[in-house]
Amino acid sequence: MHQGIAFRVAYVAAGERGDAEEAVQDGFVKAYRALGRFRDGAPFRPWLLRIVANEARNRRRSAGRRIGLALRAAAASGDAAPSPEAAAVAAERRDELLEALGRLDERDREVLVHRFLLELGEEETATALGIRRGTVKSRTSRALERLRAMVGEAES
Amino acid sequence: MSGLERELRALSAVVDWPAEPDVATTVADRLGERPPARPRRLRVAIVAVALLAALLAVLAVPPARTAILDWLGIGGARIVRVDELPPLPARRDFDVLGQRTSSVAAQTGAGFPLAEPPRDEPAPDEVRLAPGLRVSYIWRDGDDVRLLITQFPGRVGDPALLKKLVGRTTAVDRFEVDGDPAVWLEGGPHAVLFVAPDGAIRDDQGWLAGNTLLVDRDGVTMRVEGQLEREDAVELVRATRGR
Repeated sequence: MHQGIAFRVAYVAAGERGDAEEAVQDGFVKAYRALGRFRDGAPFRPWLLRIVANEARNRRRSAGRRIGLALRAAAASGDAAPSPEAAAVAAERRDELLEALGRLDERDREVLVHRFLLELGEEETATALGIRRGTVKSRTSRALERLRAMVGEAES
Repeated sequence: MSGLERELRALSAVVDWPAEPDVATTVADRLGERPPARPRRLRVAIVAVALLAALLAVLAVPPARTAILDWLGIGGARIVRVDELPPLPARRDFDVLGQRTSSVAAQTGAGFPLAEPPRDEPAPDEVRLAPGLRVSYIWRDGDDVRLLITQFPGRVGDPALLKKLVGRTTAVDRFEVDGDPAVWLEGGPHAVLFVAPDGAIRDDQGWLAGNTLLVDRDGVTMRVEGQLEREDAVELVRATRGR
């Protein structure tokens, strides 16, 4: 559903819930009014996400706020972990990854969040971020290297 | 995929995203704000806004049916593929199409270049006119409608004057009729929403339609609906050429 993904994309770009919500509202309104510029037959969702993401970025910049990704893992669920220790290790690793993502620079973080946490494809990520598909590939690869340097590779 | 990539992907399931706000209602409310005066040149913008409100009304229904899968335009019509059609009456209220009038009055009052009814067909049983918005020729078969041909101005990219919600079971096929862009909708009913002469679009201004051909001819869209095969619909459009 567009509304859900649009809000998350806005949240990643704005770094703050209130701004993300306003960005989605304004983005939806602008998207409709700009329908005439929408290339006929092109996929609709990336185009909408790009408008929403731009709105969110503009809000963050005008607020002079440095991006800080306030993502947390959900409270430990009852997933079938082999032991409490293993569950604790897994939860710790998740927190470590999220914290490290938050420390990456904006462009690195955005591309990783779009590709992996929001599960957007390369083409859709490129449109939403306003960059070329080739740039998505190279930036993803570099960002993964930087993240790996911070948190290491997964065991096993 | 590296171990780190797998870990990141697994994170997507556990990230505690902030609760999603009810944007659809808020946006629809915002768009519901109308200027006190309504100069004519604002009308086109209002039509666009009204259509978004209608779209968001669809978005506001339970999540299962909200996914808009695709969106394309042809002439003054916009076709939106959705998971599930909104509830609409199958029964038709032709007042939506405008006032009953004569063929001659429709020609002078349409406000855009109007094609005459197809040659070789009997004269339409009804002609309906919404000045500046649309003209419809209706052929009846008892209480049913055998054929409905509606013409309305608008190019791709103009604010939509007619909106069609198409479910998963309807095939949408783009092609050309003598060089003019065309779309054939077949296989399942689709919802047709009309913009009223005052620029408003209301829930009851729609109905479920069957196979339909849309052709954009020099900025005027012709919509042909009936129990027709595509070839028959194309021939009908060709037979209306003589303006």
